[in-house]
Amino acid sequence: MIRIATLAAAALLALTAVPAQAEDATVTLTFETGARTGKVMVALFNSEASYQSNQPVAAQQIDASGAVVAVFGDLPAGDYAMKAFHDVNGDGQMNTNPFGIPSEPYAFSNNAPANMGPASWSRARFTVSGDTAQTISIR
Amino acid sequence: MLEPPNPLTPNFEETVMLASRRNFLMGAAALSAAVATPETVRAMAAMQASAAHNLADWALATADLEGDIAPRAMRLVRGRAPAGLQGALFRNGPAKFRRPGGSATHWFDGDGLMRAFRVRDGQVTLEARFADTPKRRWESEIDAVVTPGFGTPGDDRARVGSPDDANAANTAIMMAGDEVWALWEAGSPLAMNASDLSTKGFVTLRDDLKGMPFQAHPRYDPDGTVWNIGLWGDRMVVWRLNADRSLHTAQIVELPRACYMHDFTATARHLVIVMQPWVFDHDAMPFAARFAWKPELGAQIMVIDKADLTNSRIFELPAFSYFHLGDAWEDGSGTIRFDVAAGKDVQFALEGARVLVEGRGTVPGEPAQLSLVTLHTDGRAEMTSSGVTAEFPRSDPRRAGLARRYTAHVAGERSGRPLPTGLAVHDWETGRSDGFDFGDGVIMEEAVWVPKPGRSGEADAWLVAPAINLRRGVTELHAFDAARVSDGPISSWRADIALPAGFHGLWNGA
Repeated sequence: MIRIATLAAAALLALTAVPAQAEDATVTLTFETGARTGKVMVALFNSEASYQSNQPVAAQQIDASGAVVAVFGDLPAGDYAMKAFHDVNGDGQMNTNPFGIPSEPYAFSNNAPANMGPASWSRARFTVSGDTAQTISIR
Repeated sequence: MLEPPNPLTPNFEETVMLASRRNFLMGAAALSAAVATPETVRAMAAMQASAAHNLADWALATADLEGDIAPRAMRLVRGRAPAGLQGALFRNGPAKFRRPGGSATHWFDGDGLMRAFRVRDGQVTLEARFADTPKRRWESEIDAVVTPGFGTPGDDRARVGSPDDANAANTAIMMAGDEVWALWEAGSPLAMNASDLSTKGFVTLRDDLKGMPFQAHPRYDPDGTVWNIGLWGDRMVVWRLNADRSLHTAQIVELPRACYMHDFTATARHLVIVMQPWVFDHDAMPFAARFAWKPELGAQIMVIDKADLTNSRIFELPAFSYFHLGDAWEDGSGTIRFDVAAGKDVQFALEGARVLVEGRGTVPGEPAQLSLVTLHTDGRAEMTSSGVTAEFPRSDPRRAGLARRYTAHVAGERSGRPLPTGLAVHDWETGRSDGFDFGDGVIMEEAVWVPKPGRSGEADAWLVAPAINLRRGVTELHAFDAARVSDGPISSWRADIALPAGFHGLWNGA
């Protein structure tokens, strides 16, 4: 039915090395959470293929007790999308109920809505051509 | 999608009928001009509205309500208020189906409206508020019904990140302290304030159970323990709540088949899971499209020990369909009995409920009949039809899970005209049906049992139910004596508005 749980694994993957370029941009994602515990796990993707296969170009874990801001620097211009979940209980997992429905909050870039599954690449995609900022509601 | 009658494709019969109806209305309007009261004006407006859209007179049952209804007095129009009848009838049901950008096409998919009929010192007030769900918020914002439901396909404008994003909170009720919980079946209860019907939010009984399905028909033990189920393919969660509505346990139970079930029942010692042969076939939306009616499979009934959910037995019966069961009971030998409003197929679920939202046309198939299922200790099962047309079976809440004699139900629905017109009490001891029918001018809604204070007999109760008076275009509230339903209502109160027909209610005594 709703298969969003797989993004958990993706978001946990570590950042893979990306060559830095002087003219590269920074993406700043500010998260509005419903709880102040645990961490917000953020995964950034740079293509539809990487988004679909959960191969992030970068990932971060942000402590949720203070301001929750993920800053991804040195990004070449291009299209990106983000998946995140709030690991409210800090167990490192995106928890689901016994029937597999996420029981912790999650979100996508552009605050793109889920619809019986993760938000589509076309709705979550944003173009980076300079420094870019978004505020994401994750409740 | 709803389509207005197309003026470009004239249909002779339709045109003639419409014309004559309009003439009649104009004549009636002229006649009534001299004696116009607010009531006659409202009745005229209701008739004109249905005539203008070529709707059936019963279409008021699925009309759209555009907003909340502030508390208002209902006027006593028959009998006297019974002394001792104090409390509130809370009722839930869909009340908004159509929006400019897209509409619900199935009766089960309208936005839930919580109604409160409050009875105090002989005075009755009515108020109603929509359940403030994410679905309703989003669909109000874009002015389109886009969310998939039981029979409404939805579209890609939907925002469904969890089952509760599609939760219409439109089916039934549970009391929880000073809250009423609006129940759906594929998601969480929605808590609303009992005092003003404002929405508080979805209920998560334990963090790791967020968004689990919680069906619309919980069953109660005498000590206040609440049992409920939630379905997920061939698995179900069995909810056990304490009397204070906190979670006792939630346990997953495997089922012998994946099928659609709207209800389950229980005796004092057992859960009774009734699996009709409307079985999962393929992934699809709307939800009902997932299931295939396979009567050759028959019905399976799983009886589960409340004290040990791994201990179960299976009984088999020939195929029948159903939405609603009565409370079950068992005798000293362990024989289990329960009643069911049994149908022959799922035409109503698929097609009939769509016709109801269209507000015209014919509901296919036959209305359900009240039947009694007996599960013998030797493993045999049998089912006996009373021959009485019935839906919404309800019984004395003081006897939930215990031996009982009576079932109240709505009656009078027939092939060719949808929705019930009367109320009856069936006596399982004598086989006698004690009923009252208002006729086609009324749509009868589900009745609840209200025990008379200080009395303990099963028939020492009032049956309290609203009905839509189609001729006057208003909602009424009726109280019957459960022992003498055929005498008609002992008291009736009339509102100055009509609410669409609700599904299920609960009496909360003062």
